[in-house]
Amino acid sequence: MQVSAALNGRVGTALAVMLVFVTMSLIALGFPEKARLMPLMVGVPGSVLGLAQLIIEIRHSAAQTTVDADIAEMNKAERSMFIWMFLYFFGILGFGFIYAAPLLVFGFLYIGRKESLPISLISAVATWAVLFGFFEKGFEIPLFTGLIVESIIG
Amino acid sequence: MDLSGIFGALLEIVGSPYHVFLLLIAVPIGMFFGAIPGLGGKLGIVLAIPFVFGMDETAGALFLIAMHAVVHTGGSVPSILFGVPGTGPDAATIVDGLPMTRKGEAGRALGAAFGASGFGGVIGGLFILAVLPLLRPVVLAFSPAEFFLLAIFGITFIAMLSGDSLIKGLLVGFLGLMMAFVTLDPQTGAQRYTFDLLFLWDGIDIITAVLGMFAIPEMIALCVAGGSMAQVSKEGAKYGMAGVLQGLGDVFRHWWLSIRTSVIGAFIGMIPGLGGDAASWICYGHAVQTSKTPERFGKGAVEGVIAPETSNNSKEGGSLLPTLFFAVPGSSGMAILLGAFVMLGIQPGPGLMLGGMDIVWILIWALMLANIAAVAMFVLAAPTLGYLSYVRGNLLIPFVLTLTFLGAYLSHRAWENMVLLVVLGTLGYFLKKYSWPRPPFVIGLILGGIAEDSFHKSMALWGPSFLLRPGALIMLGLIVLSIGIYVWRTIKGRNIAESYHAG
Repeated sequence: MQVSAALNGRVGTALAVMLVFVTMSLIALGFPEKARLMPLMVGVPGSVLGLAQLIIEIRHSAAQTTVDADIAEMNKAERSMFIWMFLYFFGILGFGFIYAAPLLVFGFLYIGRKESLPISLISAVATWAVLFGFFEKGFEIPLFTGLIVESIIG
Repeated sequence: MDLSGIFGALLEIVGSPYHVFLLLIAVPIGMFFGAIPGLGGKLGIVLAIPFVFGMDETAGALFLIAMHAVVHTGGSVPSILFGVPGTGPDAATIVDGLPMTRKGEAGRALGAAFGASGFGGVIGGLFILAVLPLLRPVVLAFSPAEFFLLAIFGITFIAMLSGDSLIKGLLVGFLGLMMAFVTLDPQTGAQRYTFDLLFLWDGIDIITAVLGMFAIPEMIALCVAGGSMAQVSKEGAKYGMAGVLQGLGDVFRHWWLSIRTSVIGAFIGMIPGLGGDAASWICYGHAVQTSKTPERFGKGAVEGVIAPETSNNSKEGGSLLPTLFFAVPGSSGMAILLGAFVMLGIQPGPGLMLGGMDIVWILIWALMLANIAAVAMFVLAAPTLGYLSYVRGNLLIPFVLTLTFLGAYLSHRAWENMVLLVVLGTLGYFLKKYSWPRPPFVIGLILGGIAEDSFHKSMALWGPSFLLRPGALIMLGLIVLSIGIYVWRTIKGRNIAESYHAG
């Protein structure tokens, strides 16, 4: 039986939610008596409800056999966006806002979305101007400098 | 009531060009701090303190309170246009504000948000003026027992915000509650789910959670869908002045809801420790609960913008009172404001009721006038802001992502929050993609800590009999009523659907 990716995703999401409850409830068993009261009061019914939702989703997916033709295209765009989100995360984590954010804005526009060079450059410069000129200089709000930059500069 | 004192204070503000000037400067600054995720009113006040140092106490306090009063008015702009809340309490505005933008009603949503904010600020101020003599016994009557039940009351709204699937709504709400337990246990001090990570000792940051649950999923979805935030063509869309005026009119068309949520917001603001985030969600839930067509909520109902926005601004008036009269700040923003007042020479405490009412009246009027000024200033700008919803997604996404990461970092100046942002953003996207309601998560996260802390305190003070206290009984009655209305409506809705299909 062919089950579409969307339905696998539904089952996967329900499974992930249930596993969060089960894991957190199991961890709560190791807490002192007073500390575990509320987590268990929420976690145990959450696990049961999670299981119920998982069964609903599995039954639903078993009943559906159609494959949506647009899903492959959507998944591609989705994957690309997740890659950019992680690039943002690791870029800013490593090199901080001032250095990484303008480069990421440029990269996203010019490489990721095939925007024109002038628009990509102007956007990158504007990002840098806002972060450096506005936040760091104007309001004197120190922005995160990045773990790699910190380790280099000290 | 000292009418000459009350109206004398109003004259002292409007009769002085200097005071009017300060007020008009403070309003856009406050809105700006509200509109940028991660900045918020607290940082605004901290940064403004050096500027008011040396001013006389009236001018300085007026400037700061006017700035603080309109922070959430500004916060509604990115919530409505991009699904990125400027501050934590603005998250509730996303639930219906963003769908309005998608329907091409950004102008109407912004008009409603500005109008509701102004309305809430004014009604909240008037409410405070009216209840001032009764304030002390009411505020002091709130014990941990009532706190606990008020939190439970808010949590029952999870069911109403669950949409088509109650199980999904409850699961997401429970997930929020579980995340609220990621902190040191308030009773024993034991670490819970913190894995020896220091940044989790204070719990999961609300702003980061809201940005993760709403902003990141919206940006991913925008990239997948293509186009702009608005999903209809510009022709016929309500982003222009006509739409803005329609939104403003909506506030008065739903005048009874606006008054109710303003008063509820002001009342919640008066209770120290409950937090402003709770006010907007409780009022949103109230709007859903009392609507004849609750199924419209979450899909772009203007009442869903009006309710949280009125309460956001009215609670500031409410939280001013315990700050001034008991020196107990009603919110974290008020805690910083309290320090600034002391620096300016205002001594908060019960003594103010005896000899310092002039400054109290001035502050309440300043609060109301700032809200009116904010409406006047930003209604004119709303059509331009509304046009932003037609900017191509490709151009918008990198800036919003940058702002989102910046907001998560700035909220606690902790890079670890960016890790949380990515984790919650991924979870939020899949919840959105597979039609799981996301607002219950935020309600659970906000109210979970309050519920747990006050439950333990109540049990320690009174044991299980805390449920029999008069205030607790009233709250219990409200909870039962709330659930009863929900069940009755669900059954009624099902019967109507069945008779429709049968016919």
